Amino acid sequence: MTQSEVVVVNESGLHVRTCGVFVREAGRFKAEVFVRHGDTEVNGKSILGLIGLAAENGAMLRIRADGPDEEDAVRALVKLVEGRFGNMP
Amino acid sequence: MNGPTRTRPPESQPGEGPLRLTGIGASPGLAVGPVVVLASEEFAVREFPIEPARVEEEVAYFERALESSRRDLEQIRNGIAAELGETEAAIYDAHLMILDDPELRRAVEEGIRQHRRNAGIVFRDYLSAIAARLERVEDEYLRERRADVLDVERRVLRYLVGGGQRGVAGITGPAVVVAHDIGPSDVALLPREHVLALVTEVGGRTSHSTIVARGRGIPAVVGVRGAAQSVRRGDLAIVDGERGTVDLRPDEAAVARARTRRARLEAEADELRELVALPAVTLDGRRVELAANIEFPSDVEHAASVGADGIGLYRTEFFYLDRASLPSEEEQYRAYRSVAERLAPRPVIFRTMDLGGDKVASYLGTTHETNPFLGYRGIRFALHHPEVFRAQIRAIYRASASGNVRLMFPMISDLEELRRATALCHEVAGELDRTGVAYDHNLQIGMMVETPSAVWVADHLARESAFFSVGSNDLTQYTLAMDRDNERLAHLYQPLHPAVLRSIRRTVECAQAAGRWAGVCGEMAGDPLTAVLLVGLGVDELSVSCYDLPRVKAAIRAVRWSEARTLADRVLSLGSAEMVEQALRSWGEERLPAVAHPRTRT
Repeated sequence: MTQSEVVVVNESGLHVRTCGVFVREAGRFKAEVFVRHGDTEVNGKSILGLIGLAAENGAMLRIRADGPDEEDAVRALVKLVEGRFGNMP
Repeated sequence: MNGPTRTRPPESQPGEGPLRLTGIGASPGLAVGPVVVLASEEFAVREFPIEPARVEEEVAYFERALESSRRDLEQIRNGIAAELGETEAAIYDAHLMILDDPELRRAVEEGIRQHRRNAGIVFRDYLSAIAARLERVEDEYLRERRADVLDVERRVLRYLVGGGQRGVAGITGPAVVVAHDIGPSDVALLPREHVLALVTEVGGRTSHSTIVARGRGIPAVVGVRGAAQSVRRGDLAIVDGERGTVDLRPDEAAVARARTRRARLEAEADELRELVALPAVTLDGRRVELAANIEFPSDVEHAASVGADGIGLYRTEFFYLDRASLPSEEEQYRAYRSVAERLAPRPVIFRTMDLGGDKVASYLGTTHETNPFLGYRGIRFALHHPEVFRAQIRAIYRASASGNVRLMFPMISDLEELRRATALCHEVAGELDRTGVAYDHNLQIGMMVETPSAVWVADHLARESAFFSVGSNDLTQYTLAMDRDNERLAHLYQPLHPAVLRSIRRTVECAQAAGRWAGVCGEMAGDPLTAVLLVGLGVDELSVSCYDLPRVKAAIRAVRWSEARTLADRVLSLGSAEMVEQALRSWGEERLPAVAHPRTRT
């Protein structure tokens, strides 16, 4: 298992479209992906789960992956969050 | 936020006497007609046990509901993409992903197979739990997310439990549609031939639904608190999408006034429509380029439909504000290209990012300042973020291969600033040349004139700028040293102040001396009489809102350039804004009685 923490830096946090981008990226990996915010952990490949995290700008997320490409997955997803979700709407 | 302004005491019951509600005028137009309330869809989701033998059937039933919802969403998505562009359609891609959510499918299947509960109830419980988590916080972004989740929930429930299309399809006659909230997909489905206006309790000027309403030309007032509770089906309503008012159950006199006003607006619109294909040319042959100011890619159709000669100000801040993250070069390129293509061969002037001041994008590190309008904004901000700026310039350059594209910098106050910004453009051009990417090698690079310092060095600037466009709103505020957001100074906001008019004249003269053209793209150009004055001052181009454009064109076509010049010379000799206004008004009453009366929209 690989995990890492990352802070949500984009202004409006994990809104519907950014969650969509995250899920699409997570779906590229075989590893299972989980995202924790506060006491809640959700499947990182579930857009509804991510939306339900209600994570705002400044929120600390813990991204955890389990599977053959877990390191790549965590690295890519942390980069995505840090990079404001690939500058998409 | 303030509640609705009531003309009757608050204890007045719904369905009684006249009541005025106020909200945000989000899409212009005046409508009088009967109300149709789109009740929030209440699906009677009943719970019932699923017999073991029917489990697979129920799972298949759920799958079919998702499949039907997907077809609807794809159709809406493609419709929005065609009507308004890919940017506005992107939200539906996320909605489609919700239908594919693995946890949702797992939870519903588990509910059916293991707990023997019906699909409708399991599905609704699952989405309601997520919506409830988003409800706890009073935050605009969270409410938007909740609205998206509920939009998808309703869509699927329509198939799971029936209950139909929430009346959208049931609108078969003239209707003022009133709803607590309406999803953009529902606005897209409203029958345009019947819907007179739209009134919602939630929403803002930039929410998705509002943008769609504007794009479809449906007058709309949003953010009207208590609207749905205050009306009954069949009540008469007067909706003013310009002022943001909704008059319910108006008395006969008010209805008569509104009908007269609308008839006048329509008659005027008919007259003005005849001018759409005609040029903005004075009686003695002075041709003025009359362009439109726009903000959203979807405004392009409107600009074309009112007969604009082009886009004189495309405010690109839209790409940076009200969103979570920086727009990519690619996203901007696609939007700019579609605008350029749709307008070609007419020109489109893209004003590069004018952030800072009152336009704060916190993900770019803009912060609130003591003196924002004298602060870190416009070109100053852009030059401090060369990578962000470069991406935008590249997008504009690339789009120039597909139409008649011009580029303009905001807030230039110094020659060195213009040179640095222009140098960045040349770097971009060099990169594109090296990588073989097409762009228009004759792309005009111009600048806005909005600061007194730019006016005073306009002779130098004109040698290195392809054109000037006077931003009269900021030029007025900076020249008169008055904050235009300070309500107590509102009376000092005087674009007709001789200091402003002389600044414009000087700007035009400097442009002419260098063989450049000069335009005005601020609010003042949208007033027909003032527009005539500006033509008299020698401006070559005016860029105004789509709403004002037809009347401005009519005024220009009704005067001679020679008399406009005489008028300009005369008012320039006057000492105060009051004197200029007086002179302009009396000239207008004599020469242009049709436009001299105050704007019909005020």
